[in-house]
Amino acid sequence: MKPVYLDHAAASPLRPEVREAMAPFRDGLVGNPSSVHRWGRSARATLEEARDRTAALLGVGGREIRFVRGGTESVNLAILGRFGGSQAEGKGEPLFVRSSLEHSAVRESMDELSSRGARVETVSVAPSGEIDMPGLEALLREKPELVSFQWVNQETGIVLPIPEIAERCRAAGVLLHVDAVQAAGRVPLDLTENPIPLLSLSAHKLGGPRGMGVLLVRSGAEIRPILFGGGQEGEIRPGTEDIAGAVGTARALEVALWELEEEVDRLSELRDLLATRLKEGIERLRVHAEHAPRAPHILNVGIPELPRDLLPGALDLEGVAISAGSACRSGSTAVSPVLEALYGPSAGSVAPIRFSFGWTTTREDVEFAAETTPRVVERMRTLGVGG
Amino acid sequence: MDRERQRILVAMSGGVDSSVAAALLVEAGHEVVGVTMKTFCYQETPGASRSCCGLDGIMDAKRVADRLEIPHYVFDVEEEFTRDVIDDFVSEYARGRTPNPCVRCNSNTKFRDLLKRGRALGCDAIATGHYVRMRAAEPGEKPSLLRGVDRQKDQAYFLWGLPPELLPLLRFPLGHLLKPEVRERARGLELETAEKPESQDICFVPMGNYREFLEQSLPTRHPALEPGRIVDRAGEVLGEHEGYAGFTVGQRRGLGGGFPEPMFVLEIHPERREVVVGPHRELFSPGVRVEELNWLADEPPLPQESVQVQIRHGAEPVEAWVEETAVTGTTGLDTGLELRFHSPQRAVTPGQSAAVFAGERLLGGGRIARALAAAEVPEPSPS
Repeated sequence: MKPVYLDHAAASPLRPEVREAMAPFRDGLVGNPSSVHRWGRSARATLEEARDRTAALLGVGGREIRFVRGGTESVNLAILGRFGGSQAEGKGEPLFVRSSLEHSAVRESMDELSSRGARVETVSVAPSGEIDMPGLEALLREKPELVSFQWVNQETGIVLPIPEIAERCRAAGVLLHVDAVQAAGRVPLDLTENPIPLLSLSAHKLGGPRGMGVLLVRSGAEIRPILFGGGQEGEIRPGTEDIAGAVGTARALEVALWELEEEVDRLSELRDLLATRLKEGIERLRVHAEHAPRAPHILNVGIPELPRDLLPGALDLEGVAISAGSACRSGSTAVSPVLEALYGPSAGSVAPIRFSFGWTTTREDVEFAAETTPRVVERMRTLGVGG
Repeated sequence: MDRERQRILVAMSGGVDSSVAAALLVEAGHEVVGVTMKTFCYQETPGASRSCCGLDGIMDAKRVADRLEIPHYVFDVEEEFTRDVIDDFVSEYARGRTPNPCVRCNSNTKFRDLLKRGRALGCDAIATGHYVRMRAAEPGEKPSLLRGVDRQKDQAYFLWGLPPELLPLLRFPLGHLLKPEVRERARGLELETAEKPESQDICFVPMGNYREFLEQSLPTRHPALEPGRIVDRAGEVLGEHEGYAGFTVGQRRGLGGGFPEPMFVLEIHPERREVVVGPHRELFSPGVRVEELNWLADEPPLPQESVQVQIRHGAEPVEAWVEETAVTGTTGLDTGLELRFHSPQRAVTPGQSAAVFAGERLLGGGRIARALAAAEVPEPSPS
């Protein structure tokens, strides 16, 4: 049995092109970009080139790209940084708005703000992918400090109508932050057309290096640093820069965008193939958010009357690596807040499986999962392993 | 150990025993799957140094599994554990009895759950780090469960409530070993848990302070925690206590002084909030009434049959015979039996377990409903 990896939404392996691009800056003498000598200058030149390439790929200006340490940090910087800005402006109970599906980085950053005196409101999203626009409009009239919406949901693949939201926020004069961690390389990110003031990316979800992220900060978006100790990254992210990381991030984005159209077609086909085969093989299986606009790299299914914490292990033992719901730090599987937001308390009674695909995923991988998963489910059902 | 390679589920707590159990099965060539059951959330337990989900134990188990290069999964059994073990623990104290939560856990939660999950994961057998042995079945019989070779560590007492249908699937790799040998093996394997201290306390009660745990679990002003009278068998009031839940049969502490001879708790009467005390000689009973029976052996002992019975953890088993089966239990059904001791036993404690043995072999057991009084027991005893 050769195990197959269908968990690209959690981590995608480093692309060989990226490794190659990074190699010269991982070994040997790489200076500190703040140093005046030749090694410092050379490092600065490499860093700024990576920044410019990243900006060009996203259709924004080079000064608007900030390299940070990962997607979670990028999101935290946008949200806590904006809170810092509102406090500096002396606002009493600033309002922050999020969608009901946000990743824990957004959700828990805002929970933290709520404990620091902010008001946090949540706009619901339906399983169809439709957001509560009247609810959003009503909140926009209250002039929130920040609205944070994800572009692609990390568990179901739901694509939110970011261009429309961006337009409404712009019209209302409200700052928008978009968590695009799952979107980059999977849906077209049209930043020239859409005025999105703040946007977060993570390099490793794209086949880039771990621990690298980007926060796009467009002019007019005032945020404060959350770390202190140097003026790097436009005064908002101090610390000696990771040159190889920046080069790798730019290269990963480049490769992902280069292949975008083909990959969207290829992964959509694999996703639909797997969904069809699983529906044939597993009675009463439901595809979560089936009728919503969805990104091509995620398929989330729910199997009723099975304990939700058993499937990941059972599939792992048979060689299919997937995720289910959201993992607690202990590794036990809690009810997914995303599925709960979409389906209410009934989310607790189905066992979810998230299959996610990426650049290494082949048709054989998907065939293997399509054949193995029904067999494992059938075994559990035959044994009466009820939920 | 079986020659053929099996997929075996091992319950790993993060402690030294279950770690070595897993290691021995790996050494024997089996495909070993480690699991840890998350039984309750420490976060809500005040005074516990551990963070959410008993994380330290789980992380220890994961590291051992990594070292052994076996998969490891965590299962959440909090709901079942709370219902079957913690709720029972609290209600038993409220009834003036002394519960045995480890027995409840083994009988109702741990093994049933392991079996269910083991099957779902395609496992052929289930193993734990208990110090007991399995004796393979003769054709047409069930296998038997025997005491561990290490008498100091033997845990058969805790296992009388196992669902009997599980026996053929159970493996206890430590049953033939002594504890020092197990520690030695853990060191040899460079397991992180080799030097971990023994866990003695009830796992869900922080710092062993069960009174505080009951205060948080019972409604405020529950009678079990309200002051009441200390009386002797004749009903004479000898003092006051701070709640009968703080007492167990045989206890001497907490009764106050000033008695002409040392006094011990003999009985607890929750309906009157009374703790009955008496001198040491009155602690002895000629027999015990046992309910909620479970038999691992194919044929439960018959009336007049000689057995050995162990009435608390760590106690020596004592000779006894079955006086009566089909005693009507508290549920109104015939679920009980009466055992007579060859010589009277000290501090027979309602709520504790009576494990019934034939020599090394665990036959089954039940919960102690009450001690029999001398007056109830006619002479003489057969033998």
